[in-house]
Amino acid sequence: MLKLWRSKKAITPVLSNVLLLVIAVAGMSISITATYVITGNLRETMGERFIVEDVWFRQGVISVYLRNTGKTRINAAGIYVDYMTQPFTELQLEPLEHGWTNITFAWTPNTVYYLKVITSRGTQVADYYKSPP
Amino acid sequence: MQTTTSRRRDFKQDRRGLSNIIVVVLSLVILAIIVVNVILWNYQMSQSDWERNQETFTVSNVSRLTRSPWFTTQTEYQLNRGDRVSGSYSNTQFVDGNYERFRESTPTRELDINGTFSIDISTYPLAHIQSVELQLIYSVGDTSEQWYMKAYNWTSGTFSNVGFNSTNGDSPIAGWNSYAVNLTDQWRSYVGNGGRIIVKVHDQGPDAPPTNIDIDYLAIRPVIDGAVFTFQNTGPRTAHLVSIWICDLVAHRRYETDIFVSSGETMSYTRVDITLPEQYTTKVITERGNTSVYVGN
Repeated sequence: MLKLWRSKKAITPVLSNVLLLVIAVAGMSISITATYVITGNLRETMGERFIVEDVWFRQGVISVYLRNTGKTRINAAGIYVDYMTQPFTELQLEPLEHGWTNITFAWTPNTVYYLKVITSRGTQVADYYKSPP
Repeated sequence: MQTTTSRRRDFKQDRRGLSNIIVVVLSLVILAIIVVNVILWNYQMSQSDWERNQETFTVSNVSRLTRSPWFTTQTEYQLNRGDRVSGSYSNTQFVDGNYERFRESTPTRELDINGTFSIDISTYPLAHIQSVELQLIYSVGDTSEQWYMKAYNWTSGTFSNVGFNSTNGDSPIAGWNSYAVNLTDQWRSYVGNGGRIIVKVHDQGPDAPPTNIDIDYLAIRPVIDGAVFTFQNTGPRTAHLVSIWICDLVAHRRYETDIFVSSGETMSYTRVDITLPEQYTTKVITERGNTSVYVGN
């Protein structure tokens, strides 16, 4: 035991081993966190589903009623009317939640519009809707 | 043999080789976790998409509902004046010619009976009732006197016919008579909070001949303005309906719902809180995200 204390040569390998162990643990932690983040993002993107329940043409406004039918929260990031982005009220829906978002748009009667709703993760739902007479 | 022993010794001494293997194995494990997660999740989402595509659900009819079914008494009539001759209250629950017979009391030649009725307020909430109708199908031996229906007024604490659309009573003829009254917008005074109505049937007053009255049917029903939907599920999976839309040019109204239609089932669904406009489009949405449309007018 006394001999071990006196031997200065033994400290370096111990330190290097401990250092290597710390680096290995840190590396693994980073790898696992990255794995969790990557798979989490993938899962959220793949689990996004929503439908447009109703489109209501009102004075200067097109109201769109969305329902989240997927397994993750959705956030309406953009709404396009005839391929042009339009201002709209923010809408965030948890799974099974539903609600209105209002697009400020001066529509004309008896006209067909191509509406596209895009979420923050890139999922989109688009269809043609005809305004009332 | 010697070569193998030598290779094993070399491998044990070569630390770099071992660490390489560890790194590769760990990377493979991480990669496997990612791939398995993605495959499992993709499988789940594909399954829900597949279920959604399999759902075949239609709204086959939508119609306006202005009256509920009739509610009959579930207890025996209370005799205030007169006697029961034959039959029981169950004979007054159907229009089938089977009746309960009462006779006027002997000294005064009068008849006065009360029947208690209950509206199913879980299906027809008081908030959506517009009026109440009473109907009596009866036959009497003496057609010379009038017969009246009144109801217990829960506000005044008396039997009354104030506010009824007809307070003149009914003049019977020989054979079966149908006598109906409407409680108009005064109905709320005559319906207790639990949906209870006490109806009184009585004659004009004392007269000479003792009269029998045969009651074939006595019932009440609320007047409403609702809608009946007929849903048809021809798909292989149960459909969970979550919302009903009634849209016209004036408004798009959404109604929450929570009903399940089994595979192969056709069901009627009554909503007393939905008033149908003249021309409308009905949309019914399922939990899986399918929509069925019915255009009505």
